[in-house]
This record gives sequence, structure tokens and C-alpha cells, in this order.
Amino acid sequence: MSGPVVKLLMRRLLTVIPTLIMVSLLLFCVLRLLPVDAAAMSLPPNATNDEIAAMRIEMGLDLPLIQQYGIWFGDMIQGDFGTSIHFRTAVSTLVLDTLPATIELAVMAMGFATVFGVLGGLWLFYARGGAVEVGLDLGSVALLSIPEFLWALFFMLLFGVSLDLLPFIGRLGSGVARPETITGFLLIDSLLSGNMATFMDALRHMILPSVALGLSAAPPIMRILRSSLMDVYQEDYIHQARQRGISEGRILIRHALKNAFLPTLSLMGVQFGFLFGGTLLVEIIFSYPGMGNLMVDAIRNADLPIIQTVGLTYCVMVLLISIVVDVLYLVLNPKLREA
Amino acid sequence: MALLDVKQLTVSLTSKTSTLDAVSELTFQLQPGKTVGLVGESGAGKSMIGRTIAQLLPPGFAVTGGELLFDGEDLVGMAPERRRSLLGRDIAFIPQEPLSALNPVLTIGQQFREHLEHIGKGGAGWKDRAAAELEAVHLHEPRALLNRYPHQLSGGMCQRVLIAMAFASRPRLLIADEPTTALDVSVQARIVRLIGEMQKRDGTAVIFITHDLRLAAEICDDVIVLYAGRQAEYGPAEVLFRDPAHPYTRCLELAVPDVTGDPRGLYLLPERMPGLKAIADLKGCRFATRCPLADDTCHTQEPGLAEVAPGHVSACWKSFATEGITPPPAPAVAARGSEKILEARGLSKSFVTNWRLFGGASHFHALKAADFIVRDAEFVGVVGESGSGKSTLARTLIGLETPTSGTLQLLGRDIIGTDGGTRDWRQKQMQIVFQDPQSALNPRRKVGSIVAQALEVGGPRLTAEALEVRIRDLLSDTGLSQEMAARYPSQLSGGQKQRVNIARALCRLPRLLIADEIASGLDVSVQAQLLNLLLRLREELGFSMLFISHDLAVVRYLCDRVLVMSKGEIVEHGETEVVFSDPQHPYTRSLLAAVPKGVRAPQVEELSA
Repeated sequence: MSGPVVKLLMRRLLTVIPTLIMVSLLLFCVLRLLPVDAAAMSLPPNATNDEIAAMRIEMGLDLPLIQQYGIWFGDMIQGDFGTSIHFRTAVSTLVLDTLPATIELAVMAMGFATVFGVLGGLWLFYARGGAVEVGLDLGSVALLSIPEFLWALFFMLLFGVSLDLLPFIGRLGSGVARPETITGFLLIDSLLSGNMATFMDALRHMILPSVALGLSAAPPIMRILRSSLMDVYQEDYIHQARQRGISEGRILIRHALKNAFLPTLSLMGVQFGFLFGGTLLVEIIFSYPGMGNLMVDAIRNADLPIIQTVGLTYCVMVLLISIVVDVLYLVLNPKLREA
Repeated sequence: MALLDVKQLTVSLTSKTSTLDAVSELTFQLQPGKTVGLVGESGAGKSMIGRTIAQLLPPGFAVTGGELLFDGEDLVGMAPERRRSLLGRDIAFIPQEPLSALNPVLTIGQQFREHLEHIGKGGAGWKDRAAAELEAVHLHEPRALLNRYPHQLSGGMCQRVLIAMAFASRPRLLIADEPTTALDVSVQARIVRLIGEMQKRDGTAVIFITHDLRLAAEICDDVIVLYAGRQAEYGPAEVLFRDPAHPYTRCLELAVPDVTGDPRGLYLLPERMPGLKAIADLKGCRFATRCPLADDTCHTQEPGLAEVAPGHVSACWKSFATEGITPPPAPAVAARGSEKILEARGLSKSFVTNWRLFGGASHFHALKAADFIVRDAEFVGVVGESGSGKSTLARTLIGLETPTSGTLQLLGRDIIGTDGGTRDWRQKQMQIVFQDPQSALNPRRKVGSIVAQALEVGGPRLTAEALEVRIRDLLSDTGLSQEMAARYPSQLSGGQKQRVNIARALCRLPRLLIADEIASGLDVSVQAQLLNLLLRLREELGFSMLFISHDLAVVRYLCDRVLVMSKGEIVEHGETEVVFSDPQHPYTRSLLAAVPKGVRAPQVEELSA
């Protein structure tokens, strides 16, 4: 089994490189269209035009666009993502500080989306043909039409403000000890340092944003799981299993679900990509210190190095997710393992 | 006591307003170790009995009368848990489509283990037991097989796995629903023999469901012929085949061509079997509308099952009057021209199977240096098992594959890999009809527009009137009524769809038609109509045809000459009558030997694998 996986990984990694070059080129050129003078911004407000011109030359802004891109890309390959104009710190440090928070949020949200999606899909499947189905069907369509930021605002107001059940600002409450940074993932770090209080507090902070995100990603999963289960139950091998006297529960878990999960999985990959983009708004609403907030600050300050790098990071994450999904698909579907 | 006692069993599609019987008052007994065949066209209700035994009826269907006793226990009213413990253990099933009856994401071992656990033979050492069962059905390297997935096995191997699973519990009853229909004729012979072998070992009683009367006559003790949900005839297999009492049995037998004996025509059953709704409106015998012997009594009173000989019953007012039903004379031998329509010389096609960066590649030779000629107004059959290269040949001829080497001439003109002009010309002269009539028709186009589709490209534009006339001609040529032009493919039966495909192929009057298994999967009466249609059209339009089929009897009926293919090679070719009556190549001999002939053969000749 490892042979085909390695083959697939190599093939996918080969396509990742041109994709990244294209995305970075696009990002670079589009951002250059902004009426922003990076040189002027890097100098005190009272700098003279000569000083700005000198700065432009120093920063390489007088070079042709493609050459500027070449320099940026060359630096990036060596791990130098530039310096933030606003914060005056290395962009890589800023992104590495915030990326784990965002990944943590997205993974947890995807977990919720999977649980809601699979349970909801099974429920929809079991209710088929009955009166309940109509209601559930309408419900799932309604869910489908609610975006993540509405859920976020709603949860914040209901569970955070009115009922005061859960915290809704940041990653940790004030006065809660921050564990030392090992992986950057708060949940993992607090567990590693054995700080259960911090772990619980971080977990409570994550519930509202991740459930909001997860709920918005769940309905398509529900619906596709339901319809692929319905397709699978038409298959001969289900009929044959019943003729062998295999129980319905076993048929569902062992025979139907694994087959029905294949189309669901490819959709989940797409959903995870969307969800990762969706973290941006949710982070803003919950003042969650992730990459989304960094991005919004950077846009406000026209901080081009940060915008470029964060944009590229989103792209890398989505590519990684699709590779992971492809590998999972390969593992679950024996027919693909041949070639 | 009979192992299975079916008394007046009625299965119906029930709704608030109506009750439509799919099976009416079915009655038979099956003794331990015996085999009963259920024979009939599709829609006759053959599969209902198996589904009733497992209580896996299609939605809306239910048992509305009669009894179904297994070893004295009522299978219909039984608690689901009790039934589940019988299924797979005492009652086993072998399905029609072996490849799709195994779960594609689980290994053979995982599925076998689950089954062994269900029948109480799981636990440690299951691998040894599974391997032993697989060995009993003559599968090689059973242990390695356990780690493989269904798609890595051939259809015949999958069917053997399913047979091994079915017999792992030493069942008392086996229901085999068309277990060989999806398989090649030689594989069919081996599978049938294997089922018989296992049946003997365990003393299992078998219900063998098939559309093939000859196959049933070869392997069953008793045969039930079903028509529109009712037993037409029930009796000992040999008697029923040799001397049928019911006209339907006789018609079924005469509707299929033989692979031996004097050439004869095919008996044409008119129209189609009545559907569930139509049955409910019938007053007399259900077969009366198509019966050549029917008179007023038959149309007004339904005949009951009457004993016509000891152990032989027939539901007909005119039982044994069947000698009056004779096949029409053999079709006249058509005048063949001498003009070469298609000429292939050394035509080869190989595929790269395993390409390596270093060390070259391995090739699979799907077609090895084929030489043949198709002459004017000549029907040439191509026979062979799946994987013999028949379809590669068809795909190469119509240009879907580029041959690796060799020449191909159509009407003396080279047609390999040439420019667009030649391609258009080739398409006009040569047309293909595919096996699956459904998927070859655009579901969103009406029949009229489908058959005239070829006129949309190339050639002069026709006026609306001229187009109408052409559509009308094509429909009447292929025996379709004019109203069909306004219908969509989904509103047609399988036989009608295949006629539409033929009409479309004939639209621009090609000189050569390539037919890829176009008569497979059709009911025998529909098949007979289709074969006669092709013969009539040749007389009227004078085209040639390359007819690819795994059914040797059909090829013998239809084709002037035959090519026998094995492993990509044409191993024998010649006039059909000569090849079939005096086959030279051992492969041809084994193919012919494997065809069921309706008599209990002492032992079918073993085929080389």
C-alpha cells in the first residue's frame, strides 16, 4: 500500500510547485496595483522626496516588476519572507505565531463539521420516505443557507452574552497562565506542560468559534452522505449481504458506510478548504488571535509583505488539505491503489 | 417431507387502490438434494421466489396468499431473527452479477471472515477454513486470494468465491438466480458443473433461476416454466424439453437458434408479455394474446394447472397440441457479392501495460495480426470469450483505437490514421451499434431526432419534409411505429431501444455495420425479432455486417462466415456451417461443447483455462 501512496505524494508535490509559483505571481502583481508606496511608508512622515526616492532604490522598487518578483521569490525559498512595514519584525515570525491558532481552530471546526455532517446524514438517511424527512430536508437546506459569521454572532449573543455560558473573546481568559510555546498549538502545549486548567480554558474559548464554523460546513456533508448511502443501498453487495443474513446494523457500518464515505470524503476536502478561508471572519468576530486577524490588520496598514505571505500560507494550507484527502482516498479505495 | 413446500403462493404489488399479482398461486415442492429450474422471460416473476424466501421483496410488494414452508417452518410469518439465522446458514444464495455482489472496498478475506462468523465458524483458524472452502471450488492459491479485492478477480473467480461462501455452511437450500448469465459460455459450463459438485457433496436442494430453457433442461430434475407470474408448466426437465405440453414452453424453445442440427427459422412470439397492470385486466389465459393455438375459450376462461402425465402439469386448454407449433423455414441463403467491403491484413493492436523509465515496457497484445475480408452483403460473426480481443477488433475498425501495425481497407481505400475527409467518409460507410442500447441513446433527444442525427453533419441540408420522410422510413424499416418518433428513449423497451440504435446506424445507408453483442441481454422473443430484422434489412438495403457475439447459436443463425478468436488471435475462420459442424481448432471445439443443448451431457469437455 505504501508504494502507491508514495507515488501519489510525489506526483502531487510536483504539481504543487507550479501552483505555488502561479499563485505567488498573481498575489505579487495584484498587490502591486494597490496605490501604496511601500518606501514612503517605511520612512517617518517628515521624510523628503529625495529620501523616499533613495529608499525606493534601496528597497528595489525601481526594478522591473518581474525582477522584483524574482528577488521576493528567491528570498522566500531561503526562508526570508521579508519584514513587516508596520510591525518592523520578520513576517515569518508573525505568521508562525498566528498560524497554529488558526490551524487549531480549523481542525476543531472540521471535527465538528464531520460529526454534525455524518450524524445528520445518517439521520436524514434513516428518515427517508417518512414525514420526518420533509422536515429534516427543509432544515438542512435552511442550515445550508446560513453563513459562518451569522452563526458566530448568534452564538456569541446567545451562549456568550445572554446565557453567559462560554467565553467569546480571544484564546485564553485573562489571568490564565500561558504555557510555554512548544508546538504553538495551545491545546497541545498546555497538555504537554500538564496544565489542565489552561487546557480547559483554551478548549472553552474554542467551542463557540469552531462550532460556528463547523455548522456552516456540515450541511453539504450531510446531504452528500445521505445521497451516497441511498446509492450504495441499491448495490448488489448490500442485497447479497442481506441474503446472507447479515444484520442491518452491520450492513450499515461495515458495508455501506465505507463505500458511501468515499464521495463524502472528496467533498469534505473541498469543505475544509472553504472552512479554512472562513476562519478569517470568525477570528475577527471572536477577536481570536490567528492568521485572520493578522491579515486584516495587515490590509488595514497596507502591510504588503504580510499580506503576500499570509495569502500564500492560506494557499499552501488548502493544497496540503487536498493532498491529505487524496491520500485518504487512496487508502480507503482499493481500486485506486493499482496504477 | 419436502424441504421446500410452496403452496398457492401469491406475491402482489399492493397499493391503496389496487392489488397487482406478480406471482399467482405458485405451487411446487422441492426434495432434499434435488434441483428445480425456474424458467421464463424477464417479468415472468422468476426472481420473486428467491426474494420471497429471503423476505427481501421490492418496495410495495408483499405475500398476499398461500404458504411458503421451509422444513415445515413458515418462512413468511417467521420472526426476522429466526430468518436471519437461517439465511446464509441453511439457505444460501448465488447472485447474477458476481462482480457487483462482493463489496468493492473489503478484501475477499474480510468478507469471507464475516460470513464464517455469521455461520458460527469464525474465530481463530478462520483463515484455514476459508482457504479450505476456496480450495473446494478449485481456486488456486486460496490464501493469497484472501488478501485480494474483488476487482482484482475475474467474474468467474468472483462467482467461485461466492459459491464457496454459499456452501461454507453446508446449506440445505441454495437459490441460484441466473448465476451464469453474466459469464462466458465456457465459464458457465464450469460454474454449473461446480454447483452440481457442491450440491452432491452437501445434499443441497437447488432452485436454479434462468432464462435459458436448454441450460435448465441440462441440469435440473424438474423445471417450472413461468409466464406472467403464473406456472405455465411444471414437470421433469427432460420431458418438458423434449415433449412440452404448454405452447409457451414450445415457443420459448423454438425462439432460440440451435448450435447443431438442421438450420431452421426462429419462432416469433408476437408482442410482449403483459405487465402487472395488463395481467389484472386479462380474463382468460395470460398467454392467450400471444399464443398460436388460442381460441375463444382461451380468451375468456383461465385454465388451471392440470396433470397431463404423472408428475407433469400444464395450465392450458390445449396441452400437448404443441406439435402444431412449428418453426418457420430457415432464412433463405442470401446472395453474397464478391466486392471486398472491408479487408484487414496483419491488423494488430498492443497496449503498454507497465511502462518503466528504465528497461522499456511490457506489452499486452490485444489483437495479433488479424487477416480477414468482409464481402458485399455478407454477415461475418466474431466469437470468443471475453478478453479474446473481440471488442478491441471492433474499436480498431471504427477508429477508436489506432492499430499498432497492419493495414485496413474499406472499399479499397486505406482508412488508418488518415485526414478528416477520409474519417467522415469512413463514418458514412461504416457504423457501429453497441451492446448497451440504453447508454448509447441521448436521453434528452426524441427518437425521431436520434435516428436522423447523422444527417445533421456533412452532406446537403435536408428540408424539414425530406427529414420527416427519412425518419418515417427508418422507423418503419426497423419495425418501430411512427408514434415512436415523438418519444424519449426512457419510454421504450430494451428491444425497441436497440431498434432505434440500428435505425440510427442505417440512417446514411452505410456499407458495413459493426454490431457488438447487440442481441445479448434481450429476452429470447425480442432477440428472435431483432435477428430476423437484421436479415430482412440486409435483403432490402444490402449492407454487410461484422457481428460480434458470445452466443454461438445466434452467430450460426445469422452469419455466413465466422471468425473464432482466442487471446487476440483468429484461431479459426470459415463458412459458419463448416466451422460449426466440423471445427478444426481445439478452442472452437471446446467453445461449441460448452453450449447447453438441452440434454444431460455425460460430461462436458474440459476447457483449457
